Amino acid sequence: MKTSSVKAKEKVMQWVFTLCACVSILAVALICLFLFANGLPTLGKIGPLNFLLGTNWKPGNDLYGILPMILGSIYVTAGAIVVGVPVGLLTAVYMSRFASPRINRVLLPAVQLLAGIPSVVYGFFGMVVLVPAIQQVLKTDFVRKVLHINNGKGMSLFTASLLLGIMILPTIITVSKTSLDAVPESYYEGSLALGATHERSVFFTLLPAAKSGVMSAVILGIGRAIAETMAVVMVAGNQTWMPQGLFQGLRTMTSNIVIEMGYAAGLHREALIATGVVLFVFILIINLCFSLVKGAEKNA
Amino acid sequence: MKRKIALVCAAAMALSLAACGSTGSSEPASESTPASESVATEETPAEEAPAEEAAGDFDATQAITVVTREDGSGTRGAFIELTGVEDDNGDNTTAAAATQNSTNAVMTTVANDETAIGYISLGSLNNEVKAVTVAGVAPSAETVTDGTYTLARPFNIVTNGEPTDELAIDFINYCMSAEGQAIATEEGYVGAEGAAAFEGTLPAGSITVGGSSSVSPLMEKLIEGYQALNAEASIELLQTDSTIGVSGALDGTYTIGMASRELKDEEVASGATATVLAMDGIAVIVNPANTAVDDLSIDQIRSIYVGEVTTWDAL
Repeated sequence: MKTSSVKAKEKVMQWVFTLCACVSILAVALICLFLFANGLPTLGKIGPLNFLLGTNWKPGNDLYGILPMILGSIYVTAGAIVVGVPVGLLTAVYMSRFASPRINRVLLPAVQLLAGIPSVVYGFFGMVVLVPAIQQVLKTDFVRKVLHINNGKGMSLFTASLLLGIMILPTIITVSKTSLDAVPESYYEGSLALGATHERSVFFTLLPAAKSGVMSAVILGIGRAIAETMAVVMVAGNQTWMPQGLFQGLRTMTSNIVIEMGYAAGLHREALIATGVVLFVFILIINLCFSLVKGAEKNA
Repeated sequence: MKRKIALVCAAAMALSLAACGSTGSSEPASESTPASESVATEETPAEEAPAEEAAGDFDATQAITVVTREDGSGTRGAFIELTGVEDDNGDNTTAAAATQNSTNAVMTTVANDETAIGYISLGSLNNEVKAVTVAGVAPSAETVTDGTYTLARPFNIVTNGEPTDELAIDFINYCMSAEGQAIATEEGYVGAEGAAAFEGTLPAGSITVGGSSSVSPLMEKLIEGYQALNAEASIELLQTDSTIGVSGALDGTYTIGMASRELKDEEVASGATATVLAMDGIAVIVNPANTAVDDLSIDQIRSIYVGEVTTWDAL
């Protein structure tokens, strides 16, 4: 009698756990369903090629081409990687192998705090500090006469990349640091025993040994950068033209959705949902890359 | 092992170079666009022009940063219609226009960029930015009322057909009464003059008002004013946007919707009824440091926004 009630309890709890686990799967499934059910017919209505390769986004004139936004997302993400990866990686190496525990006691919370700052605060910082500062720099004679950059704008690809590069730092630092810390100590000691210096051991033995972790960090950083919305909206200028250069504004897919969703109606609204579908596919590809890298790590 | 390391390093370098290339390579493209070309040609003669001295420190040869609102915004809809940026071919706003999705974002952008031009609701105007006169007329409640300031649009309250809720009827009566319209005028909008004084039944109840973020500041004051008279009334104010304001009024989410634009035909067909609450001017704003312009004609504004004029001295 007693054992059966215990068993029944276990059964019930098992169901509760299963149900909890299902919530996240259900959420993903529902979002997928919503996106594709709403987005794909629109894609057909506008024409997949017109939509994906069209260079004009003018909802007022019934032109829905999102190529500028796709390129915008890719450029901004690439820019963020160029800014964020070297800085983040070297920070991780420093924290893992060079910094004294005392410095790490300050650095680690600082990095975690950086991760906790809401993106709208980053955006506001970018808008009132970075944008005017870059505007001032672009106006100097050195930039205009020596570098021949005329007409540069504060709200630009450059500013957005810089800001996003800072935003992805915590992701890159924490993930690469974890994988660096996980490299067996024997690698390092073996390298030292062969006569390599500390620096050489770190950069040519530990870092390569942690490369799949570093790759994961970069991919997660890409995912974070491409999905970022609020901060980019506030500093990128959001022009719907094809990207015009490093110091000109552009619009990303996420900005496009958040800027116009509130007011959109009819086909315009559906086109924005279809933009979400394209973004979703991008994220799927990035996650797939992440799994592949992780899988390769296990097989190695 | 060493070879492997070298390979990884080389791959990383190649990757970063490729990434640099993809961002860097787009740069030369900017020089070939017509917009920047015309700027480059206009720059040389203008630099020698003595006109600059009169304009103070402001360098009028700089390219104009055009700031607009997002497609579908009530303010943008009214602005492009009134200035002629929109014609039979649709919305011709230049692709070079930076897009911001709120009145405050437009103001911050213009306040931080001395070459910028933008447009906002007259009621939101403050000292951080400079409002230009349009065709010689300064934007103000008076000039909007007498019709000399032409950039003006209606603030609408929207109901699904005739309102049936007692409190809603009474509250709308208050908004349209002399008291309500006086509040609108006080807040910098343009209320109707000569409205009858409020004689409400002041019923108890609760209603929801929602919609345009442009109308919300005024609605807040009106609700405050009404609740001072009718303590029994509970009125909830939700701030979204014009389109949701109308659809919310139609599907019953809001008892009263707010829209900062005229209703679209399909909305009227679905049964939405609009009442003009007040008129609002649209102020064209520039940075206070911009000494090159104080006055713009409608046509000058149009040519800036369609991208025909790209520097301040070319006006």
